[in-house]
Amino acid sequence: MAAQDRLTADTFTRAERTAPVPLRPLPLLRVDGLSVCYGPHEVVTKVGFELGRGESLALIGESGSGKSTIARAMLRLLPSGGRATGRVAFDGQEVLDISERGFRPLRGRAIGFVPQDPANSLNPVRTIGAQAQEAAALLDEPDRAIRKQLILETFAEVGLDNPQRVYGSYPHQLSGGMLQRVLIGLAILPRPALLVADEPTSALDVTIQKRILDLLTRLQHDLKISLLLITHDLAIAAERANALVVLKDGVIQEAGRTASVFSSPASAYARKLRADVPALNPDRYAALRDVGFRTFKTGDTAAPKIEVSAVTKTFTVDGKTLTAASDLSFTVPAGTTHALVGESGSGKTTAVRLLLGLEQPDTGSISVAGEQITGRSPAALRSAWRHLQLVYQNPFTSLDPTWTIERLVREPLDRFKVGTNKERDERVLEALADVGLGRHLLSRKPGALSGGQRQRVAIARALVLKPEVIVLDEPTSALDVSVQAGIVEVLLTLQANLGLTYVFVSHDLALVRQLAHTVSVMHRGRIVEHGTVADIFDDPRQPYTKSLLESIPSGGAGVAQATRARPRVTAG
Amino acid sequence: MRGTYLSYAAKRFAQAVVVILLAYVFTFVVVSILPGDPITNVLRDPQNGFSEDQIRQIIAAQGLDKPIPVQLWTSLSNFVTGDLGLSMRSSRPVTTLIAEVLPSTLILASAAFAIALLLALTIAYGTQFVPKRFGQGLLRGFPSLFLSVPNFVIGLALIHIFGFQLGLFRVIAPDSFWATFFAAIALGVPISARITEVLIANLDKESEQEYAAVARSRGLGQARLFARHLLKPSSLPVVTVIALAIGELLGGSLITETVFGRTGIGSLVQRSVSTQDLPVLQAVVSLAAVVFVLVNLIADLVYPLLDPRVKLIGGPRVRPTTADDAATATSAAVTS
Amino acid sequence: MTLASFSSASRDTSIGRLAVLRVPPTVALSFVVIALVIAWSLAPGLFTGHSPVVGVPADKLLSPSAAHWFGTDHLGRDLYTRVVYGTASSVTSALIAVVIAAVAGGLIGLLAGFLGGWVDIVLARLVDVLLAIPNFLLAVIVVTAIGFDTTNAAIATGVSAVAVFARVMRSEVIKTRQAVFVEAAFLMGGSRWHILLRHVLPNASRSVLPLAVLQFGLSILVIASLAFLGYGDPPPASDWGLLISIGKDYLKWPWLVYAPAFVTIATVLSVNRISRWLRKTD
Repeated sequence: MAAQDRLTADTFTRAERTAPVPLRPLPLLRVDGLSVCYGPHEVVTKVGFELGRGESLALIGESGSGKSTIARAMLRLLPSGGRATGRVAFDGQEVLDISERGFRPLRGRAIGFVPQDPANSLNPVRTIGAQAQEAAALLDEPDRAIRKQLILETFAEVGLDNPQRVYGSYPHQLSGGMLQRVLIGLAILPRPALLVADEPTSALDVTIQKRILDLLTRLQHDLKISLLLITHDLAIAAERANALVVLKDGVIQEAGRTASVFSSPASAYARKLRADVPALNPDRYAALRDVGFRTFKTGDTAAPKIEVSAVTKTFTVDGKTLTAASDLSFTVPAGTTHALVGESGSGKTTAVRLLLGLEQPDTGSISVAGEQITGRSPAALRSAWRHLQLVYQNPFTSLDPTWTIERLVREPLDRFKVGTNKERDERVLEALADVGLGRHLLSRKPGALSGGQRQRVAIARALVLKPEVIVLDEPTSALDVSVQAGIVEVLLTLQANLGLTYVFVSHDLALVRQLAHTVSVMHRGRIVEHGTVADIFDDPRQPYTKSLLESIPSGGAGVAQATRARPRVTAG
Repeated sequence: MRGTYLSYAAKRFAQAVVVILLAYVFTFVVVSILPGDPITNVLRDPQNGFSEDQIRQIIAAQGLDKPIPVQLWTSLSNFVTGDLGLSMRSSRPVTTLIAEVLPSTLILASAAFAIALLLALTIAYGTQFVPKRFGQGLLRGFPSLFLSVPNFVIGLALIHIFGFQLGLFRVIAPDSFWATFFAAIALGVPISARITEVLIANLDKESEQEYAAVARSRGLGQARLFARHLLKPSSLPVVTVIALAIGELLGGSLITETVFGRTGIGSLVQRSVSTQDLPVLQAVVSLAAVVFVLVNLIADLVYPLLDPRVKLIGGPRVRPTTADDAATATSAAVTS
Repeated sequence: MTLASFSSASRDTSIGRLAVLRVPPTVALSFVVIALVIAWSLAPGLFTGHSPVVGVPADKLLSPSAAHWFGTDHLGRDLYTRVVYGTASSVTSALIAVVIAAVAGGLIGLLAGFLGGWVDIVLARLVDVLLAIPNFLLAVIVVTAIGFDTTNAAIATGVSAVAVFARVMRSEVIKTRQAVFVEAAFLMGGSRWHILLRHVLPNASRSVLPLAVLQFGLSILVIASLAFLGYGDPPPASDWGLLISIGKDYLKWPWLVYAPAFVTIATVLSVNRISRWLRKTD
């Protein structure tokens, strides 16, 4: 709040538009008292900040914080029904009250925009070249051939290997990372003074994320562009921006230089946000994680709960053979968490499906909790699922929207005919209490619950059978970081209390480090490296593992060193 | 790519042929469950003045004394060779009867189609340029209104206003320009509603897409955004709707021709229904199915050539590219 | 953390409830129209004192007035009364048509989508065939085959709409079957039939409701068209389509066409508006 006051204090000292020579350099962008409403709902409330030339500023917030809405309001790209009030001055010019026609020359030419989801941000039925020519049209260069040359040069500048081929391609022919490079290229082509990047990497894999962020940082320095970065990731923001603005529910919680906001956050929300980012707190759950492990480890070390040996699975798609899993082997001791880590297409989803018996491998064998999974028909696997349950990635699709919470959690008990009616009722309540949900939710339907609550329901449903093994398929990747922290705590507490064995699938190495005991790193259907968390994170041997680890945003060199220096409790 | 397309085309073609033959069989079955014995009823109708001998001859000539499956087989094999049989009523070849009235219906249907398309494009594209406060809502209301008005009411209103009140045309001369023009409007308006609905829905969908916002962020105005980005993806799927509209044109002409007193396929059907002239009905329905299936076949064959997103694996579908995609694609098979 | 998620959840639901309560004025008006139409068909005697069958020859072909809101016809019968008494048959027949189409089409779509394989291929071809014959022509052929009266016209209309429901149901079932929660139910030990009846059917049916409402409006039109061509009950029945058909011979007295046409259009327009609203709120 203090920061906001500071920002607004020197607002009306000059009449910018009439003053020929400002006494001090004018900020490139000044937002003051910006509010955005959709009908009666105010989603952004009196937000103000400044961004200087060549500087970078990050708007940080979780879903619903209004960070993207602010960017769209500035660009006057709010969807219909949205209304922005307040002041947004770009280069001294008010942009909210001028006409659409008056504002249009600024878009693209002076303010470039890099969107969140590269796959949907280019017109699917037109070539990249045709769309690039639109951006090039802003260059006042009459010759189409020269414009094309400039486009190709820009494509090379943003690190696209074969600009000519990209120029002639349709969007669906390129990967997400390439498309994001194209979009960045299109945004910088007219050499704007300001680049607004709205979660530019949230749809991309972690190694690609790093390269894209590096590219943005380099361009910002080389071309002297100001960067307004919108992100949910505090670590990324701290790494890439000079100043931070932390938002929650459309209100600024804290703002200031990165160094001060990041290392000593003043507001409770910023402190909590910082505490919830796994990359910044690798040992947050170390004690909790290892309680259960120690207790149950002493029990029976002889027979591992899960044994996967030499499993290979290929798919034939369109005449081509795809190896989704190649010679996978790992074992998981009872009461521990084994993490499968990999980027998209690494085969981790296939591994999950093989573990559950939803796919049968070509060769190799899998046994879970003493039951053979391989070589059985889906119907014959029913008894195995009594002890082996799955929590899906997306709680918005894994719960039947027409069922009540009570029915959902009770379903496995009814289907496996566990206990009497009364016992089932009790176990439903017990499971809900275990995941931290109250009984007032029993008669609700999933649509009335938040994402975090839904995922808790999904965990309760997996838990209610009292299984021995739960496979967690990216259970927090659809959720905000603060919600994720709550889910992780629930999972670890359950493990400590009940001695559950987890297989935790994730793309997020920092998260894996917080909660797993052993790790397999997957790449293109193979396990490239496996070992204890300490082995993998402190002494990675494979270049791929190293590049994954280097890609974890750490919030800046200083902070990263500080965390590395701290002593660590490890499994084993 | 070319090989995939050819095999896709061959598969679609084979499907089309199967559907046409099945449609013929279906009509045959529906028509032969007629209660009573309409065939001999029609033949024995004193108005026709057939003697018992002649009736027996006709029955034998048409093979009506054979069991139904045999009749079906004969009828189907004749259909395949283009022989649609004889009218029960006039004993003239059905092909001749149809050929006589076809031109009139074709003129009406193509005029109606042109009007429907023009109307649909004007209204749908109009919504992109007419601002909210100047009647965009009104434009958007049109398809729903057009869909709620029976086409005979439109026809009667046009006759009442332009025929009776303004004297622009006379119902006695149904083939005059104005009579045809207004008949085409009556037939075309409800059909335009379908096309407009789909167009508007697509335009709305496309303009909400992220790429539209990103294109605007490159400084594009509404007119260029529409022309360069929204027009093609929103209009492509309409090809399919247009194919469906052809079927409705045929059905609608039945009523329009009655209202405007025109001679055509519609009035031929009308007459054949009232006289239970089954071979004619069978022929018209089969022809309608042929036309419908062919138009759809063309739409399906042209569509992949227009839309670069469509990839062909046995049908327009996007192929999975990674191992995980393949796993997800097969997941549905497990539960069934 | 739960604080944040709880507060946002409760906000979401309160918004949802408000949206349900806030019915747009045009939708409210549509419900009023439909309520009136239902009332007409249930108790026509409450709305008019005239007889729908016996006219006063001296009063024939009168213009609309306070005494005769829609005027009188060529036999001196009050047209408003005829319209009111014709409502039951027009509305019930459309209802029959929709029920036939939704049940038969829904079943075909459900089986094709859920069982897949050969069942799907066979049923899909059947649906293709039904689609290949223009709707109205199909209705005409069927009504010709089973005989001219209003109930048969309703059956024919229903048959001609089976394909639409089958198609929508099939694609919804396939979409639902691939949903993650269906696989989850399978892992929870659910049998195929349990999944089909408890998960797939309720979810897939959700989009059938707006379609059924829309088809109800269309069926009114198709049945009116069949009645207009004389394939429904003969006079003195007073189905809306039949009234318009009689009126067309008296175009000098245009209210004989316009009055029943107006009632038909208002009804169908209201039904369409409600369907659109249902689709949006789902």
